[in-house]
Amino acid sequence: RCSPSMDTNPVKESFQGIKGAIQTKDTLKNVTILSNLHSIKPLDMCCVTRELLEFYVERVFKYREKLSLQISRAVSSISNSFLALQRTVQPCKEHNLCPCSEEATDATRNINNNYEELEVQSAVIKSLGELDVFIAWIDKNYHQETSTA
Amino acid sequence: MKNVLQWNPPEGLTGVEVIYTVQYFIYGEKKWLGKPECKNISRTYCDLSPETSDYEHQYYAKVMAIWKTNCSKWAETGRFYPYLETQIGPPAVALTIDETSMSIVLTAPEKWKRNPEERSISMQQIYPTLKYNVSVYNTKTNRTWLQCVTNHSLVLPWLEPDTLYCIRVQALIPGPPRLSPPSEKQCVTTLKDQTSAMK
Amino acid sequence: LADGVAVLPAPQNLSVHSANMKHLLTWSPVVVPGEIIYYSVEYQGEYEILYLSHLWIPSHWCSSTKGPQCDITDDITATVQYNLRVRATLGSQTSAWSTLEHPFNRNSTILTPPKIKVTKDGFHLVIELEDLGPQFEFYVVYWRNEPGAKEHVQVVKSGGIPVHLETMEPGARYCMKAQTFVKAIERHSAFSQAECIEVQGDAL
Repeated sequence: RCSPSMDTNPVKESFQGIKGAIQTKDTLKNVTILSNLHSIKPLDMCCVTRELLEFYVERVFKYREKLSLQISRAVSSISNSFLALQRTVQPCKEHNLCPCSEEATDATRNINNNYEELEVQSAVIKSLGELDVFIAWIDKNYHQETSTA
Repeated sequence: MKNVLQWNPPEGLTGVEVIYTVQYFIYGEKKWLGKPECKNISRTYCDLSPETSDYEHQYYAKVMAIWKTNCSKWAETGRFYPYLETQIGPPAVALTIDETSMSIVLTAPEKWKRNPEERSISMQQIYPTLKYNVSVYNTKTNRTWLQCVTNHSLVLPWLEPDTLYCIRVQALIPGPPRLSPPSEKQCVTTLKDQTSAMK
Repeated sequence: LADGVAVLPAPQNLSVHSANMKHLLTWSPVVVPGEIIYYSVEYQGEYEILYLSHLWIPSHWCSSTKGPQCDITDDITATVQYNLRVRATLGSQTSAWSTLEHPFNRNSTILTPPKIKVTKDGFHLVIELEDLGPQFEFYVVYWRNEPGAKEHVQVVKSGGIPVHLETMEPGARYCMKAQTFVKAIERHSAFSQAECIEVQGDAL
């Protein structure tokens, strides 16, 4: 399995600065976007990580018009860190070490569906507000990989 | 993972009997839920540990103040994520000493549990990267040094005989680091040097 | 002049000097005798370059600054390419933007060997490394100063604190050197000069 070294600290620090503001904007408490991440199997980690990095890069970080300067700066920092993380995971795909099982494909399709069920701005805000869930999931899984490897 | 909701009384109501009602919400679920033990209470805190014990979920809580026939608006928390936001406690520290060495055994704090019979879960299981910063203070040389420990025991050999050493330990979850408060300072004196004692 | 209106010249000679993950953007000052010129700095990361090329973000510390330099460390927070631009302002007059010729990537920062302070507490070898900030770890290599001695390596996670390295044997002489490692850019510095220390007492 491929277990790239994922430096998530810059993302956590940037997110910490805007967590309260972003999550307060998300008034839809009964809906989540990143559901069931903790049911992802270790074999599917690389695929789901790659798919979610792309999800954020392509569908979330582009929408900044209605954000304050402080939030926009943090989102810029996070989005550029995601680009760097994508490059960390990229070799895994190139060496066919990032397979996507059916469950993994279903999980990421489910996340995209959750996103599409909401109006874009609400979906963007909710996805930004759930960055801590995604980063905690990366830390848990990529730490356990590296510590047991 | 002991999660207690706290609040301040409303301003301007000193001397008036105010009671409070608390509700909580599991992010992604359908509705607010009440906690009977925190309905119409006069204290200004409510232990929501049982309700928030699944640390992989996120939660909201809210409080309403009631006095006479009036009730306030709900005051609501931000989204609370126990896994990332709980404060880690210091480890338990056991010292044993002999003439020139000290052995330190560390026990990670335990996750909050509903009752003593419930199975204990070590915070180390929840945070496998948890490590310890052991601070060693030699009272004779007035020097302090740190040792980073990833497992549960540490032996400090070749200490100076008949010298008082003080130990404090902090638990640490890396990146960005979450540090526990330091453990209670524990001081022990190494035994006298037996060879000089026999002269 | 443009249509008879004095046009403020744009700042020139932009360059970035970066050492130990501290990044300083400098430029040649615009000089108008008797006047104070203010400068604004903006940046865009590779994400913005690729997906939001119209979007420039005001620098944390230099949205209006007098000096012909700007600490952009808090703006450069990822290991990707960054575009940087500066313009001058005098009253209502604003110059054109002047953009850094080549994008800047923090993986080009100069990493200097860390300063080290070696002490001992009885038989305990203690090292204190230069505090360079949270992004820096240290590889400390130490050995007994005798022929054929084996080198040991210890990772020290932070500077500015005395850290226990080894328990020394009486009468032995120990030497050590250190280098920094920055995980964010996957690079390390050269090693510092070796420093040695001796322990009293009869050799075993």
